[in-house]
Amino acid sequence: MLAPTVQPGLTFPSFTRSLMVLLLLGGTHLFEMVQAQTTGNHTVTITVATITAVQVSSGSVSMSITGAGVAAGQDLMTVSDQSTNLLWGINSANRKITVSTSLGSQTFSLRVVAISPTQGIAAPEVTLSTVANDFLLSVGRSSGSCGIGYTGLALASQGTGSDSHSITFTVQSE
Amino acid sequence: MIHFSRYALLVFFSLVASTGWLYAQLTLAGGNPTLSITTGMAGAEPIAVVNTATTIDYEKSASVQKITVLTSCLGQSFTLKVVATGASFGTPAPEVTLTQGMLATDLITGIPSKPPGPNKGSCTLRYTASATFAQGNSSEQGNDVHTVTYTILAQ
Repeated sequence: MLAPTVQPGLTFPSFTRSLMVLLLLGGTHLFEMVQAQTTGNHTVTITVATITAVQVSSGSVSMSITGAGVAAGQDLMTVSDQSTNLLWGINSANRKITVSTSLGSQTFSLRVVAISPTQGIAAPEVTLSTVANDFLLSVGRSSGSCGIGYTGLALASQGTGSDSHSITFTVQSE
Repeated sequence: MIHFSRYALLVFFSLVASTGWLYAQLTLAGGNPTLSITTGMAGAEPIAVVNTATTIDYEKSASVQKITVLTSCLGQSFTLKVVATGASFGTPAPEVTLTQGMLATDLITGIPSKPPGPNKGSCTLRYTASATFAQGNSSEQGNDVHTVTYTILAQ
């Protein structure tokens, strides 16, 4: 009886015997060879929360109008301060920073403007009130800083006294 | 001639099977890590996050080998880096930045052939995720989901 040819020179019974011997000699290593992997992969996920950070470089600013240098007959007296900075980090799009004061009834005027922002656009100088006014525009998805320019104004007719402001900078949607 | 072919084949496969000379194995352990960036400093950048929860188990083979890494991350927004630490054998490469479309890049090189010494070793994968404020957040951009692939191959 003719056996089917597996490859030239090897009859089917001979091949079967060879395979059995191979399996016996190989043992578990053969199984490992079949199971072996040379590649592996896994999934790595990155999530980034909405982060909004605003910080003022100094906790307080004090400005005094003393009358020094004031010309006789001049009603308006001013004093300026640029000693503090505002820093921010915002990873949301389309954001601006507004500014407001806690002092509703003011004897004198206090104006503020952003100076040389590293990101965004400074809004025009505003007189502080309890209503939030634009301070810095287009600061979405950025990290930066600017100087804070304060100007205190007093008229001679307003007399003497002091105003104490608690000033708040807020990040808002544009 | 007939017998030579049969026994040559038999001896060859037996040798391979009994010694494992022609294969190497690589297994990842520790699951699928998630790195969450949640805080940042005004005037600076969000604080990077590190994860060391995953490892690679790998084996020596008959030749000197290396392990490479690549990633697939469509629409990638943030930055992911990986470096192997504490490798049992082989030399960890400098930290690799994983970016969509990158070519396979060395993670560990010079894994010696066997024998002598133990055949199986491992290393810890140190992932570092970072983002800038300019890169946005997951609510707007979506999460980055990387399929990171490691391959051990002859060097």
